[in-house]
Amino acid sequence: MNRFKYYKPRSLDEVWELKEKIPGSLFIAGGTDVIVGIKNNELRPQALISLRSIPELDDIEVDGGARIGALATISDIIQNPELRKDYPVLVEAAKSFGSVQIRNVATIGGNLCNCSPCADMALPLLVMEAKVRLQTTKKSREIPLNEFFKGPGESCLSPHEILTDILLDPLHKNAKTSFMKKGRVKMDLAVASVAVLLEMESKTCHKARIAAGSVAPVPLRLSKIETMFEGATLTKKDVTEAQRLAEDNVVPITDVRSTEEYRRQITGVLVKRALERALEWKET
Amino acid sequence: MEGDVRMEIAFILNSSEVTVTVDGHRRLIDVLREQLGQTGTKEGCGEGECGSCTVIIDGRAVNSCLYPALEVEGKSVTTIEGLLGPKNELSIIQQAFVEQGAIQCGFCTPGMIMSAKALLDSNPNPSEEDIRDALLGNFCRCTGYVQIVEAVKEAAAQLKGKQ
Repeated sequence: MNRFKYYKPRSLDEVWELKEKIPGSLFIAGGTDVIVGIKNNELRPQALISLRSIPELDDIEVDGGARIGALATISDIIQNPELRKDYPVLVEAAKSFGSVQIRNVATIGGNLCNCSPCADMALPLLVMEAKVRLQTTKKSREIPLNEFFKGPGESCLSPHEILTDILLDPLHKNAKTSFMKKGRVKMDLAVASVAVLLEMESKTCHKARIAAGSVAPVPLRLSKIETMFEGATLTKKDVTEAQRLAEDNVVPITDVRSTEEYRRQITGVLVKRALERALEWKET
Repeated sequence: MEGDVRMEIAFILNSSEVTVTVDGHRRLIDVLREQLGQTGTKEGCGEGECGSCTVIIDGRAVNSCLYPALEVEGKSVTTIEGLLGPKNELSIIQQAFVEQGAIQCGFCTPGMIMSAKALLDSNPNPSEEDIRDALLGNFCRCTGYVQIVEAVKEAAAQLKGKQ
């Protein structure tokens, strides 16, 4: 591995001071992507600035809504009883994330900032319309997660900005959610994945949020399906139509993990099954 | 704030306090194997896929190949060497792996056993699904997983009997 210096600042102010001082430095959270990137020579930082020693950056507060510190690990999320109860779809995605060893160090903020189109945690957060708080020394801003991703490995973060918190509103009492992921084996990165949130009143859908991963340059909301569902009385025909719309509205690529054709087809199937599961219909 | 090229850190390794001077770019596995002589922990893929480098830090299984060494300061690390009894006798989990034929070449075994230990420490009554989930990040390329899962079940039963 290339040599680099390693800093462990104890406050955000120290973080920004270091970032200012050291050109070619990178932030590191859990490190499960950064260390692999350095090993494979894709990243060549002069120094790493660790965010792990900053107090409160890994707190999880659930009280009506939720504030999840960016440094909370995937295991912290799985083990949090309040998140399990109030935001089960987030915990479901967390359980599908890598292996135990990876979940124990990988952080939710790191997963988002890595900006992979297959980021497992992005999908449930997108359908729950999460916001992220981005901070620099001078200012703090909150933006919808939907506006955060710009492309593979690219976000709207400016060089000194840090994603510090993920913010969630309470879910509507009639909200039904589900998450589904297809990988070659269970711990693999997703070939495709889907999260769904539906607010239902008997059979009428008031709100629909559907997101798909690994099928576009960014984790993607499928707004055509959302628009079709909202206000509609849902029948099997709508779910079949959603499957078709999903196939038509994703733009996957062929890579080592799968082909464009397969990803398109499996995304349709996952959308159908995720909807059926959220609606508690028998899978067909 | 720290960050000179080399730094001294103190942590608990297998119940003993150790102090070691570490380069900023070194990973925990480098320090364990090359500076502290603890070669039971193996490096396989070096990318967090295979789990042969698994150690336990503050009760949680982690890949030591992805763990910056400087981050273990003040923490408690357990490696496969830490499982031996006072007279170098094998622990219950290790013995169960031997008895169930859960070892062939043995390269994955330390990592497998550390993942199994982290599981059994937090969940003394694991289902087969729990065991398979806990071992998802540990690859064995020779003997297969059936005997390994059996060994963890056997160890769980024995540990319970001991209580």
